[in-house]
Order: sequence, then structure tokens, then C-alpha cells
Amino acid sequence: MNKAELLKGMQEAIVAGDRDAAASLAAEAVRAGLDAAEVVETGYVPGIQRVGALWEQGEYFLPELICSAEAMKSAMAVLEPELRRGRTGPRPGGRIVIGTVEGDIHDIGKNLVASMLQAAGYEVRDLGADVKLERFIEEAEATGARTICLSALLTTTMSNQKRFIELLRDKGLREKYRVLVGGAPASRKWAVEIGADGYAENAVAAVKLVKSLESGGRS
Amino acid sequence: MSAPLLELARSRTVLFDGALGTELMARGLPRRTPPEAWNLERPNLVREVHAAYFAAGSDVVSTNSFGGSPIKLAAHGLEHRAYEFNRAAARLAREAAPAGRFVAGSIGPTGKFLKPQGDYTPEEFAAGFAEQARGLADGGADVLIVETQYDLREALAAVQGARSASALPVFVTMTFNALPRGYFTLMGDTVARAAAELERAGAMAVGANCTLNSEQMVGCVRALRAATGLPLIAQANAGQPVVADDGRVSYTQDLDDYVRFVPGIVAAGAGFVGGCCGTDPSYIRAMARLIRKEPL
Repeated sequence: MNKAELLKGMQEAIVAGDRDAAASLAAEAVRAGLDAAEVVETGYVPGIQRVGALWEQGEYFLPELICSAEAMKSAMAVLEPELRRGRTGPRPGGRIVIGTVEGDIHDIGKNLVASMLQAAGYEVRDLGADVKLERFIEEAEATGARTICLSALLTTTMSNQKRFIELLRDKGLREKYRVLVGGAPASRKWAVEIGADGYAENAVAAVKLVKSLESGGRS
Repeated sequence: MSAPLLELARSRTVLFDGALGTELMARGLPRRTPPEAWNLERPNLVREVHAAYFAAGSDVVSTNSFGGSPIKLAAHGLEHRAYEFNRAAARLAREAAPAGRFVAGSIGPTGKFLKPQGDYTPEEFAAGFAEQARGLADGGADVLIVETQYDLREALAAVQGARSASALPVFVTMTFNALPRGYFTLMGDTVARAAAELERAGAMAVGANCTLNSEQMVGCVRALRAATGLPLIAQANAGQPVVADDGRVSYTQDLDDYVRFVPGIVAAGAGFVGGCCGTDPSYIRAMARLIRKEPL
């Protein structure tokens, strides 16, 4: 298999959600001495982007999304040691802290956002559900993450997203972190109102949002 | 099986209730308390909500047990109390029900996924739902309603679990999203497939609830009617939640906008109608007025 075929195969493996193929192609790339970061960017990432597009078009549903994210993870597991050896650092993306705010035990959407971010190359610290607001800050401070994602599914718990931003302000840390909000009752308008840095409607949009914020955009 | 509630639906449109959780919150349900715990801690308030819906014209109310499967209650460390919460839920609705009205034992999703997306097997789900169904049946429910299902496999496990534990008729409502190609659950189940498999599993009525507003529900009921001959249930949301500056939550469809599509929902084939998120007894009262006016 030449390089172009390999990259095409990687994309297809992600779109098909084929974990084994995704991993074995990654291993083949390593054997062939290809640059791991380039392989991620030009082989796997276009695959996950295509999956995102298929989701947005209503062609793909949650099972396909999860399969593709899993395939991405299996490829990344193979490439991780190579990436670490290379000049691009532990992960192509940065570190992100994510969780569902306190008082709220819903975690389906949050889990999906976490695995898509991971699939997109970010190092994700998932704190789970019903997470005390202070915990998000502790984790971000401890790990050096700059982005914090807060999920809330209930109209009664989304106020904690607002409280979190106030908490950051009180601690004088507001400018240090990007705070993104999501969940059924949240909206772009809500994000603006509470002074969050962004809102994403679903997991695919969340990845786009994080990427666009990193390149200096705002949403 | 000839259940009185199904008999009633053959003679006229049957009215369910509207949202329950928000009514309990309005009565002070604390954030961290699962609503089901109030069946034992604040029975009067739960009964009061049911009574308000019956007074508004509901023929049948759903019990305060949506999150009452042991798997869901485990998030609060209360899985061992599933049976008593559910039995109390059915009893309270029963006590609030005037003669000739009905109690539907509510069974909502576990909030967890089946393998391969999650960690559970269909058998584990079914066993949990069976325990919940036992409590609801022992508490005096007339039917069981498996609701707000976004995964057909979980809905089928619930039907199986419910039927293994009681002889009560089982109704099922799935939650569909309106997409360009039609109506799909989160997991990608179509209306046609859901209706066919639920019918095969022994559901006595099927339908749709949540997510869709009342306008979108008309089309969804039409799709359901094309897919099955079973009695149909439709419980639409009052649009989407919006939060005002003062933190108060409202829904995008006000009462008038919501109820003007109800005749369309009935005409499309729904024999059971009711509300979901964003609705309250005032919506049910308005729907009762509309439904009573229709020719039988």
C-alpha cells in the first residue's frame, strides 16, 4: 500500500467505524516510517470530519458516531508513542476538562462530546456527572488545561453554568480559561448572557467550536 | 386482551396528562432529590399534581416513576428502593384517580447504553425494568407506559421486562427527532421499524413523545399510522425551553400555539393524546375542551 492508499484507507476506516482496520493501518504507517502527526492530520482527521458531516446531515446516528470515535481512539493508541517521540507533543490538540455540573446526573451528551474531542486529538479529562464546580477549576489548574466544558441537561441545573463563570471571576481566573457550555436547555443566547466563551449544539459542533476558538475565533 | 383503557380509546380520544417533574419542582422538589423519592417523602404533593391533571380533564395520568428503574436510581445510590418507590407511585395516582379514570405506570429510560455503546446487556435492562413493573403493578397501575425511549433495543428490553413481571398491557412511546429524511430516534431507529418491532414484542399501543413540538407531532403520527394498526399515543413538547434573564424557564410554544395542532394530531390517527415537557394542567384543560367538541 502506498502512502496515498494508506491515508485513504484510514479515512475509510474511521467513516466505517472499523476499529481493527483503523489500528492496523496506523501500525502499518509506523512501520513505513511515516510522520505520525501528518498521518493523523491527513488520514484520520478527515475521516472524523466526514463522520461529523454525515451526523449533521442526519445520515449517521449515535451508534455510528460512537463507533467512529472508538476507531479513532484505537488508531491514536497506536500512534501515541510515535507522537510523543515526535516534536508535536503528547497530543495534537490541547487538554480539556469536561463534566456535567453539580446536581445533574445526565451524562450521555457529555460523554459523546468527550469522546469526539478525544477522537479529534485532545487530551480530555472527563470528571463525570454531578461535578462540584470547584472540581473543574482544581482539575484545570492541576493539568494545565485551558478549556473547560460544562454540560447541563436540566433547566434547573443550567444556572450552575452561570455560577461557574462567576466563581472563576471571584477567583480572578476568568481570563485564564475558555468556558464552553452545552446541554439541551443551553443555547448560544444563554452562553452570551452568562459570559461563556461558546456554546455547541452537539458533539460534532463542539469539536468545531474548540478548533475555531483555538485559531482565534469566537462563537 | 381487553383492557378498559383500550376499550375507551375505541370509543373516543383519550386524554393523558402533561409534564410531571416541573410540577413537582414548582412545589419545591430539591435539585438533588430524584422525583421518585417524593412518592414516600411528600406523597400529598405528588397526589396533588395527579389530582390537578384529573381535574383538568385527564382520563389517565402517568405515575411519578419515570426515573424509577433500579439502573437509573443507582445514580442516586437508591437502586435498592426501586420496588417501593414504584409501588408508592402507582398507589398515589390510584388514590388521586376519580372512578372510571386510569393510571399508567411510567417507565422511562435508564440513562445508560446497551453494549457495544455502553456496559449493559438487554437482559440486565429487562431485569431492572421487571422490578420496576412489579412495583407499579402491585401499586395498582392499569397499564404500563414505557416512555421517552431513544433506543429501540432498550424499549424492547423494557417491554420484555414489563411483560415478564405483570399481565398489564404495555404502551410504548419513542422519542423521535424530525430530520430531513423523516423521524428518527437518537440511535437512528425509524418510525416504521420501531412500530413493527414493538408490536411484535407485544406492545398494545405505541407512539411518540418529547422533543417534537405539537406541529411536528402531526407528521410523526401520520408516519406511525402508516406503519402500524395499533392504537397510537402522541405527547408533544411545548416547543423548546428558553431561559429568561431572570432565570425563569419557558417554552417556545404557548398554550394557543400548542393546542391548535391537537386536532391535526387526532386526525392523523392518535387515539391517546397528552403533553410532555413545557405543558401543565392548563394545556390539558384546553386539550380536553377541544377533544370533547370533536364528533365521536
